[in-house]
Amino acid sequence: MRVYAMIRFNRTVHYKELSIRGELSMEVKSLPPSALRKISKPQQEWKIIIAIYLYLAGMGAGSFIIGMLLHWWRVDLNPLHLSSIEFLGFQLNLIRVPILWGPIMVAIGAPFLILDLGIKWRFFYACLNPRTSWVARGFIILSVFIVLGLVLFVKSLFPSSLDSSLWVILEGIALVFAFATALYTGILLKATKSVPLWNTPLLPILFLTSALSTGSMAIILSVLGTRLISFQSSALKLLMYGEQLFVVIEGIVLYLFLSHTYRISEQGKDSVRLLLTGNLRYIFWQGIVLLGLFFPIVLEWISKAYQNPSLLFFAGISLLTGGFFLRLGVLRAGIKDQIPMQRLIEIRHQMRPTN
Amino acid sequence: MEQKVLLVDQEKCTGCRQCEMVCSVYHTGASNPSRSRIKVVKWEQVGLYLPMTCNHCEEAYCVEVCPTKACHREPENGHCVVIDKNLCIGCRTCIIACPFGQPFFDHQERVTVKCDYCDGDPQCVAFCNVKAVSFVNADEAHLAKKREAAAKLADLLLKHTKG
Repeated sequence: MRVYAMIRFNRTVHYKELSIRGELSMEVKSLPPSALRKISKPQQEWKIIIAIYLYLAGMGAGSFIIGMLLHWWRVDLNPLHLSSIEFLGFQLNLIRVPILWGPIMVAIGAPFLILDLGIKWRFFYACLNPRTSWVARGFIILSVFIVLGLVLFVKSLFPSSLDSSLWVILEGIALVFAFATALYTGILLKATKSVPLWNTPLLPILFLTSALSTGSMAIILSVLGTRLISFQSSALKLLMYGEQLFVVIEGIVLYLFLSHTYRISEQGKDSVRLLLTGNLRYIFWQGIVLLGLFFPIVLEWISKAYQNPSLLFFAGISLLTGGFFLRLGVLRAGIKDQIPMQRLIEIRHQMRPTN
Repeated sequence: MEQKVLLVDQEKCTGCRQCEMVCSVYHTGASNPSRSRIKVVKWEQVGLYLPMTCNHCEEAYCVEVCPTKACHREPENGHCVVIDKNLCIGCRTCIIACPFGQPFFDHQERVTVKCDYCDGDPQCVAFCNVKAVSFVNADEAHLAKKREAAAKLADLLLKHTKG
């Protein structure tokens, strides 16, 4: 009498056929329960367009902050060899152009935010409800900063003696909005509470320090573009010291940010792993660490030692690229907290690692 | 109007994905499960299926982050959270904010969509053959959960006293 046995596997069983010396043997391997658990994937909603926007807004605002402080302190950078031009009958003064062009960058970056929307022409709906959310407040902050910044930029072109107290107040307001813009890029991400990597007050601080370092470097580069730099200029030395200080602070904040996220939750740990050893490791180690932190410091040091401005140019490009990769890396590594029901099911069926 | 909720019995679900199909047909007119408002999460290796849909949370993150108030609560419609398609700008902030992975971006309509209880008659409930999804009063759902918890507690106590 034959006995039919019905075997029910409740897990996938892998059969591996091995042919050794003509004999056929079979190896049965069952997956451990912890291997069946669902690994959360990083968010796919906000991608490179938002990263470009975050970068341009941060860098523009940062360079405006540094430029405005230089303007207030009456710091004289190297004079342009072409200090003024005649345009349509007006005599335009270009002395302040290299330090006040930040709002133009923000004005270029802001349309990227609109470009990412599902229905682009509806962007003004967000401006109509400023009290609802951080996305809406951001529209307002950015618009005010762009308008004020451009007004001050245009004003700097005309060598008039309009230096009344009204302008100083206006410059003060613009400076506050520049800080708000640089911080806002981080707050926008922080406001979405379910991503542990972003939901930390260190993120706006990280973006602010990165904005200041990339901003001061952008000013150095724009001065560099106008005339060969002289390393004896005390203003430039001050700017470079400031910029290096910001890069060092950025590195420290980045370390604190990652170690805090790693400790805070399981998905935070996944995010940090994704950056350090996962798919985003090239963006992190080569983009953020090498280009954004290491190269600029080393190249600037060498360029100062050998009085070589062309190396400073490469240091600048490297730092600016690193600033972009920082935004891109943080954006792409955003992993949401696990859905509570999924977590419950995985605990109930022992699909989670024991440690 | 009394508040009603979708109650999911995960142990009954067979993973047939009928709910996804009818949801998509009802809302979009296309039998395309990728445009459905309910999604069945599967652990194929262990045969576990979990239909996931919007929880209409009391403190809804999607409502908090919406820049245009398109995502709002409707007190007259059983306190459910809905997205007004005519106001949505498609910024996808709600998708990132939701801890339950819920609102979905409809690539054809270019707006975010979510479960709205099919205006009071959820199609997933009507078409679920094994009754894994049911539409019940919120109080009843709480009662069922309390009963379940009490039964578990009784089991534990029994084991404890026998041990």
